[in-house]
Amino acid sequence: MKLTRRNFLAWAGLSAVGAVACDVIQDEELSLQSPASLPEDLVKGRDNWYATLGGQATDGEGVIVRVMEGRAKKIQGNPKYPVNQGKQSVRSEAGLQALYHPDRISGPLQRTGPRGSGQYRSIQWEPEALDILRRELRARSQGMVLITEPLRGTLGMIADRFATSAGGRHLGFEALDDTTYRAAIKGVFDQDRLPDFDISNANYVISFGADFLSTWKGSTRLSTAYGEFRQGNKRQTQGSRGYLVHVDPRFSMTAANADEWLPIRPGMEGYLALSLAYVIISEGMQAEGVDVDALTNGQGAAALAAFAPEQIAGQLGIPEQLHEGKSAAEKIRDLASNFMHHGPSIALGGDSAGAHTNGQFNLMAIYALNYLAGSVGSGGGMRFSPESPLGNLADAATVGSAQDWAGVANDIRSGRTRMVLVHDANPVHGLPASMAFESALNREEVFIVSFSSFMDETTALADLILPDRVFLEGWGDDVPEPGPGYEVIGMQQPVVNPLSDLDPRSFGDILLSMAQEMGQESVLPWTSVEEALKSGAEALYNTGRGTSSHAASADDLWNMMLRQGGWWDENARGPVPSAPGGLLNNIAAQAREPGYSGNGDFYLLPFAHNTLMDGRLAHIPWMQGVPDPITTVTWQTWVELNSSTASQMGLREGDIVSVATDAGSISGVLYPNPALPPNVVAVPLGQGRKVGSEYATSGDSRESSNALDLLSAGHLTESGGLAWAGHRASVSGTGESLKIAKFEGIFPARQIGHTAGEAVIIVTNH
Amino acid sequence: MVTSRIDHKWGMVVDLDRCNGCQACVIACQVENNLPINDKNAFLQNRAYEWIRIERYWEGDYPNIKARFIPVMCQHCENAPCEPVCPVFATYHNDEGLNVQIYNRCVGTRYCINNCPYQVRFFNYWHPNWPERLQNQLNPDVTVRTRGITEKCTFCIQRLRRGQIQVERRAGGELNDGTLKSGNHMPACVQACPTNALTFGDQNDVHSPVKPYFEDVNRYNIHHEKERKTRGYRVLEEMNTKPNVIYLKKVDPNLGGGHHG
Repeated sequence: MKLTRRNFLAWAGLSAVGAVACDVIQDEELSLQSPASLPEDLVKGRDNWYATLGGQATDGEGVIVRVMEGRAKKIQGNPKYPVNQGKQSVRSEAGLQALYHPDRISGPLQRTGPRGSGQYRSIQWEPEALDILRRELRARSQGMVLITEPLRGTLGMIADRFATSAGGRHLGFEALDDTTYRAAIKGVFDQDRLPDFDISNANYVISFGADFLSTWKGSTRLSTAYGEFRQGNKRQTQGSRGYLVHVDPRFSMTAANADEWLPIRPGMEGYLALSLAYVIISEGMQAEGVDVDALTNGQGAAALAAFAPEQIAGQLGIPEQLHEGKSAAEKIRDLASNFMHHGPSIALGGDSAGAHTNGQFNLMAIYALNYLAGSVGSGGGMRFSPESPLGNLADAATVGSAQDWAGVANDIRSGRTRMVLVHDANPVHGLPASMAFESALNREEVFIVSFSSFMDETTALADLILPDRVFLEGWGDDVPEPGPGYEVIGMQQPVVNPLSDLDPRSFGDILLSMAQEMGQESVLPWTSVEEALKSGAEALYNTGRGTSSHAASADDLWNMMLRQGGWWDENARGPVPSAPGGLLNNIAAQAREPGYSGNGDFYLLPFAHNTLMDGRLAHIPWMQGVPDPITTVTWQTWVELNSSTASQMGLREGDIVSVATDAGSISGVLYPNPALPPNVVAVPLGQGRKVGSEYATSGDSRESSNALDLLSAGHLTESGGLAWAGHRASVSGTGESLKIAKFEGIFPARQIGHTAGEAVIIVTNH
Repeated sequence: MVTSRIDHKWGMVVDLDRCNGCQACVIACQVENNLPINDKNAFLQNRAYEWIRIERYWEGDYPNIKARFIPVMCQHCENAPCEPVCPVFATYHNDEGLNVQIYNRCVGTRYCINNCPYQVRFFNYWHPNWPERLQNQLNPDVTVRTRGITEKCTFCIQRLRRGQIQVERRAGGELNDGTLKSGNHMPACVQACPTNALTFGDQNDVHSPVKPYFEDVNRYNIHHEKERKTRGYRVLEEMNTKPNVIYLKKVDPNLGGGHHG
């Protein structure tokens, strides 16, 4: 080596510090590193990144986790995973705090006091805890119910088979269930899996109620597509920025990002959609090759004559100020014409649009527009993913509807169900209080086992608590839904071991070992989830397709799947459904106006919280401390009212207001929202937890309420889902007020020195 | 200090037309940089720590109303107003265009916070506390700041340093857009952003996606704003702080009552 000044200094430095520093930094670093290093260069240990899945909080994202010295440090999107392509939602990192949460249940617990008293004693897994489970399963498994989070993949299959062969049933739980959406997709497309939307290649999107940039199904994937829809490379060269119209009675995050927001009377979305269909057909604007005669049984526009804009525009409640000097009917005609002339176009709907007594009709009418626009199965349209390549994997979660849960509660009361197993689901908090699910469970005749890692309202009623490993500690897989349009199986592997003071056990492994002992080997032949996954990988290897075609052996494929986070085959595309004959006639025949429960002055619109969702992440301090995108409120339940309405009622920000329906009342902190329609009151879900971690339960009842308590359990959609957007509520001040914990104020709500209406964020119109 | 042989000048471009206000960047930053938990009290006192934040502005009145989102982080100004006022030289400009805060020099005068027009510097009013078990998550690459000092966005300098060690020194390569992405050396917010509203890169790298925007905005200063070829602008440009962050204007096709198409 040539002796230069630089080399000399480097070698001199090495000899000076080498003796003490060699266990701190590696040799190759020493050879170049000056001894006057900053501490940032002297981090001990090496980090590894492992690919796995993002757990329940992320709804099917693939993630990579940074692990250093056996501790997980960071969760990021997995760049190779087809669903989220390296990106992540605001909820993705919640898994880290769940992993190291101070309030994790450390080991098995047996109830000692009365049910719900919270008195438990610690017991050992072997033999005590598993003996109790075994004994109770033998005595009570007939008619039992296994309640889990919405489960797919191998664990979904294990749960299904375990429950069925033990003589019971398995139901997934979601507070705002998707059963109506599924029923509508089945009705319009005859598909059992939820669709994906190619928004990145679309030019025009009408979204009805679906808050697809925030909490709706697949929001991360759709957000990435939204970025491309606005300013993708192709857009910039062609100058074809996508145009988004959002129809929603509430000013949601998606409404805030839309080019046009159309507030509408809650539940009238289907009427608007059929009116658009009428205009498209009567003016012959349908896409090339669309057989209108087949869709309408040969009647053409006449089939939808009752929905002509002139007939129904007055009932939709679209504010006059939005008409720009036109009639509401002309506005609808413009919308239809833009939808058809600026394709590829997509019509999508969900959330509040489907949560009415006519919710299934609404969603079917909305999705049928895609046939007219020719966007089913085409680029810039909607597409379906194929079924799982392994026939036995659950490729769609079985989620219970409100009707199903009422049935479960009845079965428990009547004694038909004497055992309830719960895993990562909290129906006591997530079902409306008027369903009285808590009182059904709170009976001595029923034996409740909870596999949850955290105390919550449902787990607090359990006789036996057997804490599961959290997703960063356990095996699993997933068939993502909505998928990317081709076959994907995601792999979840344990990236860290549980801490030494925690003793959780895998829920799947327990089910499998119980199945063996109960003689169910024929349906569940595996001894562990890992073994089930390995046998799945072997079956995948034998297909020889996709990832398997790059693998030399089954073992090699297993390693590849762990390394890249799963298996996929981009050539295995999903089906392209064709329209059932007379579809529009059928939908029109189902049309009816929404019914509202109660008769308060306001339409009540509850909604999933951007980070806490329905409350399942309320125990994660990061999720509590993130400002809501629209109101910037944190840690509290806020009540949104239109600013002018609030001031007419003499209410100001921070006032504690009471919101009441026929089913119940809650209180929250008032946030006057200038963008909310004057006849709407909106309340987020997520807070109001009564049992569990202090992070979830620290707020008092004035500022932390469960909006689900306002809902009437018997107010249902056509398919038995909860019609949670179809209630009327009254709002009144309580005379008290609190300071609102919001981020706005650190920056102003409206820029100082700017007059109303003047641009603050610099905006251009091209 | 780790000196690289390649002269970098880091910069960020924020496309307001892509940003949907989802807050994924905010959480990613807090996880990566060991920010204290923002409890309710922090918000009640207007003392929440968010090195990157989403500001939301209302425009107009119902029903013709818009909520506009703008992510704001340290702008890493070339003429940084925070730098000359620090009596102990805790904040300075490094040779890669970063505005850097040296925590163990800071004595907490808060002059820099006062002088920052972007309000992106945060004072530690409390000692950061985590329940013991949550401390397992803390990033070992980033110092936990003690009570009484000022902190702020660093463009995730620990990730850039790691990149320089791994890519430039060990492998003899170049830290460019490709290697920043593949080696996971992008700032945490940029990596997380689901809509790809944030772009990060080296202004000196001819292939960097940020370069054309910086060139354009540098060529046509605020007096020749109309001649710009891109949507680029700097926040509070008239103050001549010369931020290394460029914003791309939000597009609203309905401005001035215009119609789509």
